[in-house]
Amino acid sequence: MTKILIVEDNEMNLDMLTRRLVRQGFEVCAALDGERGVRAADTESPDLILMDVALGEMDGWEATTLIKANPKTAAIPIITLTAHALASDQRKSIEIGCADFDTKPIDMPRLLSKIKNALGH
Amino acid sequence: MPRKNHIAKLIVALDSAVDWFIPASLANDNNARKQARLFLISHLLGPFIGNTVPVSLYVFDPTPRWDIGVLAVSITGFWVFPFVLRAIGNYNCLALLSIQNLTFCILWSCFFYGGVFSPTLPWVLTIPILAFFYIGGAARAQTIAIFMFAFDLVVFGLCSFLLDAPVNDIPHGAMQGLGVISTIAAAAYVSMMAVYYARAIASQTELEAVRRQQIETAESLRKATLAAERAGKAKSEFLAKMSHELRTPLNAVIGYSQMLLEEAEDTGDDEDVPDIERILAAGAHLLRLVNNVLDLSKIEAGHMELFLQDFSLEVVVQAAIEEVRREIGKNRNSLSVDIAGDIPAIHGDQAKTQNALSNLIQNAAKFTLDGSISIVCRKVPDTADDCFEIVVTDTGIGIEPRCLPHIFERFAVVNEETATKYGGTGIGLALTRELCRLMGGTVDAASEPGRGSTFTLTLPFVMDDGKRRPSVRGKARSEAPQASLYEKKAA
Repeated sequence: MTKILIVEDNEMNLDMLTRRLVRQGFEVCAALDGERGVRAADTESPDLILMDVALGEMDGWEATTLIKANPKTAAIPIITLTAHALASDQRKSIEIGCADFDTKPIDMPRLLSKIKNALGH
Repeated sequence: MPRKNHIAKLIVALDSAVDWFIPASLANDNNARKQARLFLISHLLGPFIGNTVPVSLYVFDPTPRWDIGVLAVSITGFWVFPFVLRAIGNYNCLALLSIQNLTFCILWSCFFYGGVFSPTLPWVLTIPILAFFYIGGAARAQTIAIFMFAFDLVVFGLCSFLLDAPVNDIPHGAMQGLGVISTIAAAAYVSMMAVYYARAIASQTELEAVRRQQIETAESLRKATLAAERAGKAKSEFLAKMSHELRTPLNAVIGYSQMLLEEAEDTGDDEDVPDIERILAAGAHLLRLVNNVLDLSKIEAGHMELFLQDFSLEVVVQAAIEEVRREIGKNRNSLSVDIAGDIPAIHGDQAKTQNALSNLIQNAAKFTLDGSISIVCRKVPDTADDCFEIVVTDTGIGIEPRCLPHIFERFAVVNEETATKYGGTGIGLALTRELCRLMGGTVDAASEPGRGSTFTLTLPFVMDDGKRRPSVRGKARSEAPQASLYEKKAA
């Protein structure tokens, strides 16, 4: 079963996204901040990470950079999620090695197709 | 105070007469003009006062001679100076000549009427005073004037010494009377100049006071502008923050409703589906409003950027319709869409194009009851094929001509009555115009009250996020170019 790590600090968003992905047949694990997200990427070895950008102390960009810097987790595809479709955010996510970029609120069919692409299915 | 008014009028008339003589070469320099004015006042009024001396000499002298004539001609000659000044403009030279003439007049009358006991002797004092008024601080002219004065005195001394002073037969008492008249005339002359000079200084002080006040006004204006800018920025930041805070719970409302719908679909339990759909629609509507506020404040704060990608116009039009489909259905309107086949893929900001369009469709749907809305997309023929337009036409209530020019202004609702009846925040059209500007396009409106409105979005096929094109204001035409369309429909 494909395992997805969601790094998201808003509990309702996390809950919704988790339940919807579970219904789609994914195994989901979660981290509520950037630091725990980096740790979970290491310990849980997910197949894909959904990374919220606006996190507390360590933001999504920093967490992504750390995950990419760790040889054990560097290969995990990461999709960044932001509240606004900004060209600068998209450029940044590509620069730091993300597989894709999507905007919130989540459009489920669009996110699913991005997940499939990132997993290479 | 009518008398004071007369004097004021007289002074104004005198000033304008004086200014007529000032040549262009002096008129532009403030100091030169002031000096020239003193010079002109002295020369225009001086001969009236000065001629009292030859006139009284003529009256008191039992045997008047030719020298009184010379004196009168020399004094009257001062009247020539203003005209020469106007004609040739060589001020310093004329000032020196004038001082020379004055010295001549005084020494001449002294020579013929009693030497150092002459009744005209007090006039000698006017020479340095007038020289000061005419020449001011010009060092070279000052030196020349002093040497001229000294030379004149030497010539006078020599003449008095070598030539026999002419004897006149004016009685002693008359001589005293002449002395009084001459002294009063000299004092009047100097007083006149002093008064005029004082007035010039006062007006200068007044001018400086005005200038100081202007500087103070400019400073307070600058402060007010800064404060207004700060307030504007604070407002934009507040709106942006507030909208963000509103979006988070709103996203939860929408997300959970969507989830409930998905679950209902899975379980086949569709009892609550209509209610959930209502929650979802209301949430989506609210989110659109919040997003519009956020976008508008972002554009105002200069934080809005374009997100460029290739997209199909058809997808955008369908998505925009989908956004407001409920509103279209609510007022029982029919909808027709016609997208020309020759429109290529567009390189631009998909979301912003969609938002600009959905605001127009939403407006059309809101202000049209049991009517029709049509959306036509086509290339703009006369722009070398680099622009396309989306024309949204409705058969709704229309917009009055007097309101048409203001509909793209922020928070503009056509009038309070329609605002109460149809609702609306007046943000949609303002945002559409700002989005169009940002994307290098325009939005135009035409309308006929009671028959409907036409909104036209014109956008480039290839948008550009670097340099903005010179902003083209959303023009609102009050004449209705689409009128023929309605006529055809009616026929």
